[in-house]
Amino acid sequence: MIEVSWIVKRTGSRVITFIVVLSVIFFLARSAGTDPFERYLSEDPRIPPAQIQRLRARFGLDKPLYMQYIDYIKNTLQGEFGYSLYYKRPVFDIVMERLPWTLFLLSTSIILSTIVSFVVGVYFAWKRGTKIDIVGTNICMFIRSTPTFWLGMILLLVFAYYYPIFPLFGARTPGIQYANTFEYIKDILYHATLPLTTLLVREVGMYVLYMRNSTVEVLGEDYMVTAKAKGVPARSQMFHHAARNAMLPMVTVTAMRFGFMVNGAVLTETVFSYPGTGRLIYQAITNDDFFLLQGAFFIVSITVLVANLIADILCGWLDPRIKI
Amino acid sequence: MTEQKIVISRTRMRFNQFIDGAREFASVYRRSKPGLVGLAILLSFIFTAVFAPFLSPYDPYARVDRPLRPPSNKYLLGTNDIGQDIFSELIYGTRVSLTIGFLAALFTVVIGTLVGVVSGFLGGSVDEVLMRFTDVIMILPNIPLLILLMAIFGRQSYFIMILAISITGWTGTARMVRSSTLSIKERAYVEASKAIGAGDGHIITKHILPNVSPLIMATMIYQVAGAMMSEAGLSFLGLGDPSQKSWGMVLHYAQTSGGWYANQGYPAWWWIIPPGLMIALTVTSLVLIGQTMEEIINPRLRRR
Repeated sequence: MIEVSWIVKRTGSRVITFIVVLSVIFFLARSAGTDPFERYLSEDPRIPPAQIQRLRARFGLDKPLYMQYIDYIKNTLQGEFGYSLYYKRPVFDIVMERLPWTLFLLSTSIILSTIVSFVVGVYFAWKRGTKIDIVGTNICMFIRSTPTFWLGMILLLVFAYYYPIFPLFGARTPGIQYANTFEYIKDILYHATLPLTTLLVREVGMYVLYMRNSTVEVLGEDYMVTAKAKGVPARSQMFHHAARNAMLPMVTVTAMRFGFMVNGAVLTETVFSYPGTGRLIYQAITNDDFFLLQGAFFIVSITVLVANLIADILCGWLDPRIKI
Repeated sequence: MTEQKIVISRTRMRFNQFIDGAREFASVYRRSKPGLVGLAILLSFIFTAVFAPFLSPYDPYARVDRPLRPPSNKYLLGTNDIGQDIFSELIYGTRVSLTIGFLAALFTVVIGTLVGVVSGFLGGSVDEVLMRFTDVIMILPNIPLLILLMAIFGRQSYFIMILAISITGWTGTARMVRSSTLSIKERAYVEASKAIGAGDGHIITKHILPNVSPLIMATMIYQVAGAMMSEAGLSFLGLGDPSQKSWGMVLHYAQTSGGWYANQGYPAWWWIIPPGLMIALTVTSLVLIGQTMEEIINPRLRRR
């Protein structure tokens, strides 16, 4: 069983590190001068200095730095991330509108890529040294070396321009009234195909190699020889004896993947103009919207940390050796 | 006099040891076909970067013809939306992309080694705190963190990009260096020098660092690949320096300023495909070199 103290320790280290990251960003941002009143208003001669002073007092910017820091930590932990300078709305609301799209892309591609890389990886390991394994692993290595956004651009080029099978941008057809839920789901899947394929290709390229190598390692174990000697059928050797044991490192890797997936999402969503958090981060830098950028980063990081914690606990449950 | 002689001979001995080691490394490396292919590709890119002014047919910032010309004999990869020669752009881009990759990797490895050695050597609560911190930094989404750092310190500066990549990318190196420091620390000769009263500084510089350095070299090659990917992503998002176009920047312009609508609504494939291929080729060559080096350093891997 999972001990409570182990979970508490895991959660605690994440919370502490997150607060350290928050603090570092606060002091870095302050030292580099992202005080919005200084940055955006003080250059405007039409605004009297007294007005700016009043505004600063209203937002607590006239307090000493350590008081501001305490306010900042308190607000952030309460989900108060400030206002977007561009949208003039609370950052939290904007990010929350976009988050489901990203979560949809990420969770679908994680599930699909895990299944595909599991099957393909075991197959390559089984056929190790043959032509199909060599060609396959080389293709995977090349995919691993290509920039995600470029992969997306190529897919867009081929399947949206030259062969216009899929839409060029967006998450759904603009201004359409859906007849029923089925139509709605169909439209969303239709728009998500290319972004999802981009993420999938990259993920599979990465994790097929992991799965293959860990299966190859297992194939050298004594119990595999025993299984063969007993006359266990090949398919059963492959999936019941080899794959089951090779799976564990793969599960551990899955826990580490979420942050990495978000990187892919930022770039892929930008290429396909997909309305998720990744594209929001891109828009925030192009609009010079620091608070939106900061808030989006925090919310995405919290999501990643929570997802990772759940995966971590699951791993500890599947393989108790991890906890040592 | 004798003292000086000893010093000289010791330096020479070190040098000879180094040469012997390098020679042995080269003789094993030569037998690996993927390693040689990777090295050949990387060297040709480095050659291109060094001799860019002689190799590129045009000035990459000059408008040489009408916009969005398809590839022809005159312009090998056509022209972009303001009539600059894309082939020349890519040749100059080699310089920018490789420089950023190598510099960022160097800083990354320095930070990682520092954290790893301190953590592994001191152990105890220092180790515990540093490693917990490393674990969580590793999980955080890297690209958003980089974007945030660049938004604070200044966008469109490669110097800041290099710094940002190195202060977020050291975690993998730190973990690896830590684990080999732990194993070296327990070896007999370290115990021996401790017994005759060697200080921590001596043990770290004379025993631990020389022994982890081959591993650090292999890690650094991988870090170059990683840094180049990060640079490409950040430049693609428009965080690069417009006066020094890297491959990622070329793709940024292709994405944002009309690369998609070149001839009668069809995209300029000659603007979109080549830069990505350059990135992919360089990264593949680095991975091949890194794998070969790793196999030499860690012979256990060779069995696969």
